[in-house]
Amino acid sequence: MTFQQLITTLNEFWAGQGCHISQPYDVEVGAGTMTPDTFLRALGPEPWQVAYVQPSRRPTDGRYGENPYRMQRYFQYQVIMKPAPADIQDIYLDSLVALGIDLACHDIRFVEDDWEAPTLAAAGVGWEVWLDGMEITQFTYFQQVGGLECAPVPVEVTYGPERLAMYLQGVDDYRQLDWSDQIKYGEIRYAEEQQFSGYNFEVADTEMLGELFGCYERETDACLQAHLPLPAYDYVLKCSHAFNLLDARGALSVTERNAMIMRVRRLACRVAEAYVTDREQLGFPLLEE
Amino acid sequence: MPADLLYEIGVEEIPANAVLPALAQLEATVGEGLDRVRLEHGPIATYGTPRRLAIIVNDVDDRQEDVVEEIKGPPAQAAFDAQGNATKAAVGFASSRGVELSDLEVRTVDEGEWVFAHVSRPGQPATEVLPALLKQTTEALTFPKTMWWAEVGFRFARPLRWLVALLGDELLDLEIAGVRAGKTTRGHRVLGTDSIEIDHPSRYLELLEANGVIADHRRRREMIVRQATELAATQGCRPRIDSDILTEVNFLVEYPACVMGSFGSEYLQLPQEVVVTVLQGHQKAFAVEDDQGDLAPNFIAVTNADPAAADTVRSGWEKVIVPRLDDAQFYYEQDMGQPLVEHRQALKRVTFMEKLGTLYDQSERLAKLTSWLAEYLDEVSGSEAQTARRAAELAKCDQVTMMVRDGKLGEVLQGVIGGYYARASGESEEVARAISEQYLPDQPGDPLPQTGAGRLLSLADKMDHLAACFRLGEIPRGSADPYALRRRAAGVIEIVRQTGYHFPISEFVQQSLELLPVPPDDSSLVPTSQAASRLQDLFGERLQAVWEQGGIDYDICRAVLATDWDDIAEANARGQLLAQLRNSQPELFTELVTAAERPARIARPENIPEAAEVDTGLFEHPMESRLLQEFADVRDEVETLLEDKSPDWVQVAALLAGLLPVIHQYFEDVMVMVEDEALSRNRLTLLRDIDELFLRLADFLEIVQSSD
Repeated sequence: MTFQQLITTLNEFWAGQGCHISQPYDVEVGAGTMTPDTFLRALGPEPWQVAYVQPSRRPTDGRYGENPYRMQRYFQYQVIMKPAPADIQDIYLDSLVALGIDLACHDIRFVEDDWEAPTLAAAGVGWEVWLDGMEITQFTYFQQVGGLECAPVPVEVTYGPERLAMYLQGVDDYRQLDWSDQIKYGEIRYAEEQQFSGYNFEVADTEMLGELFGCYERETDACLQAHLPLPAYDYVLKCSHAFNLLDARGALSVTERNAMIMRVRRLACRVAEAYVTDREQLGFPLLEE
Repeated sequence: MPADLLYEIGVEEIPANAVLPALAQLEATVGEGLDRVRLEHGPIATYGTPRRLAIIVNDVDDRQEDVVEEIKGPPAQAAFDAQGNATKAAVGFASSRGVELSDLEVRTVDEGEWVFAHVSRPGQPATEVLPALLKQTTEALTFPKTMWWAEVGFRFARPLRWLVALLGDELLDLEIAGVRAGKTTRGHRVLGTDSIEIDHPSRYLELLEANGVIADHRRRREMIVRQATELAATQGCRPRIDSDILTEVNFLVEYPACVMGSFGSEYLQLPQEVVVTVLQGHQKAFAVEDDQGDLAPNFIAVTNADPAAADTVRSGWEKVIVPRLDDAQFYYEQDMGQPLVEHRQALKRVTFMEKLGTLYDQSERLAKLTSWLAEYLDEVSGSEAQTARRAAELAKCDQVTMMVRDGKLGEVLQGVIGGYYARASGESEEVARAISEQYLPDQPGDPLPQTGAGRLLSLADKMDHLAACFRLGEIPRGSADPYALRRRAAGVIEIVRQTGYHFPISEFVQQSLELLPVPPDDSSLVPTSQAASRLQDLFGERLQAVWEQGGIDYDICRAVLATDWDDIAEANARGQLLAQLRNSQPELFTELVTAAERPARIARPENIPEAAEVDTGLFEHPMESRLLQEFADVRDEVETLLEDKSPDWVQVAALLAGLLPVIHQYFEDVMVMVEDEALSRNRLTLLRDIDELFLRLADFLEIVQSSD
């Protein structure tokens, strides 16, 4: 199963479960969880079922393309079902079967892993799913997002498609992964890993990034003053990415780091509240369905 | 007819370490509950897997015991009028107890006549009483962390998905969190079916086993050990089974199937602690050792898979473990490329704690602290002190190595890996050893550092950390202790208790605080004197905790802590002695307390000035000089004994207790408080002196005697 077949298979599977297949968000994020399709839709009482691929950028994880498992940008396959179905674990296991994994021939385990995102004031309870000792999925019931309790509780299922594909293809290095029958993953992405690692660790202008952080913070505020939570959230994401780049450059002391995280967190909470208020004023439209 | 009760709570995988405590609660609460609702029963057993908490109670009565009570009501006079008719009082009483007037009876009790209501409530069938009990039990279960998942407002460790509740073959009518109890359970996700009907509690275990679930965790644990041992034996080896990991993996599987995998033997060139940490840390696999105790290039994973799939599973596990070993090897090679001493310069760029300088500064302080401490300790030689100093300079170098910067590995390997790097850099074996031991003891029950230098370094490191945190105002509050300060203080106490190192803790505290850097803006720091006093309090509190955990009575703890306990080793010796005396020589203990009490009670409130001395010229009664003489003799002997580094406290106690007869006689014959102030004061001064001698052992006024 090529990398792209894996994604198509997951798309078909989750569409079959009632999810609409969304497209990746076009602002830099560290994880699928941060995108509006997850973070914002987790808020409030409206139901939501979505699945999508999300490119995720984690500057500190860069290894100049040389580490067989680690990249500064990789893909997550993100699923949100809200409210969480009672048999979600079984549904998830069926998705593995759809990928061609014969459950009877493997060691599948749900290993406790609770999740917390201080920048988003978010926390959840759940597991890492291990396939023969390897973590392939993060499974989380959100409890709180943007400082607000989740009701109903969404369940998030996040796959690591590169890892899964490597496992299914029996390949030890991401560069050898068949993206399609015609081209390999490394041929597409190796140069990018090299260049971006160099940029993230050695070149990024930290003064500029610090200024940008300030600009984005102010723009978030301006959007909120104008009662526009959705554009406001874009700027929260930009703040977060600027922070990640500063972190990768080693430019932040422990205190500065904590202070910046708190600033992003405060913005995220304000956006969360504004979003819910906004939806409420619209009458929570998705509730009728 | 009694019947067996089966109650199973079916859940999504509960965190492994939460299952056993939950089963214990289940057992206790159901047991108490059954007694409370008056249902006789036989033995209780619990069973747990990641996906189920189950309890089976044998021979539960099918009906509650009837309640037969005689309840006393109003006096007969108030209950019946002259004609013998019931009054309002009687009617009210009868109705409040739910009985008829005809159920009232007059009886003579305690010289009076009273009305009694004969109340008999027949017991309810167990099937009617059990559902509420089981529901309450479930709702009362506590976990370290709970969550909610549906709108019913019920919180649990993980989502609750099914319930089985049977009494005999009868289904109990029970619903929790929107889940209705049934007779159906679920088997192993892969090895069994999803829908198993349990017709009777006695079939529970076997039906589950037929569906790939070993519900009895004790049996699973044995299976794991047996399988691991057999597998390792095929290589002429044995498994290294860490008992915490064993408990955890036991609750990660419903059907244990161990597989043994291998990795390249080149990884065994790594320090064995590194290999073991990689295997045990995230992967929770067991290391394997040969009969020399050296690691073999193997690991044992406890899987939840079909044993027939072992080959696939093993190969998958190897694909995960080898890269992790590879990472560790990469770190090791990078780190070894530089002598440890060069890392020392890098410490100048790493903050220790905000406003309190760098790790380099800390290393300088630790070197000074170890030297300071060594001055007090005869048992530490000059060369050990020098070793400690050198070790202190290098102790934090591993913090900037790649191995330690990898959070998961670093947590466990810091210090230990520093020792290896030191040795490889050409430092002496003793220095390397001290560096590797610097964090011991970390958890309660951990061994102490084995070398003198290691102990000095550990004491210095813990105290430096405590001083820094207290100066920053970070003190443990309630159950919150994010900097593990209580643990560090306990570590200091444990080293001192076990080694018998004598030194004043207050001066150690003071020295540590004084060595800390003072930032230009220190307005937000806690003043040193305040930090010192709070830190001193923490030590007192921890010392008491350690003693109480060791079974020393609360009043003995207080009695010792009310004296000068600055030399913790000495205070510890006193506390242990008193506890021992109370248990094995209670008469001697009582004599000691009795002898001490009266002088203390009488003299202390008078606040006799320190300079005051007994004036024999003011003696009137022969008992006065007799008491003075016997006391002075005992005091001389005690002071001689106390000149020893580790005094014979048993002897001291015996000597002090030996004063009881003369003290007793004194109080029989002599009046302390007389009109003549000079006489009184003189007598009080002698009593004060006696009190002070006893205070060298303990403040006996804190002792609670049962005869009081």
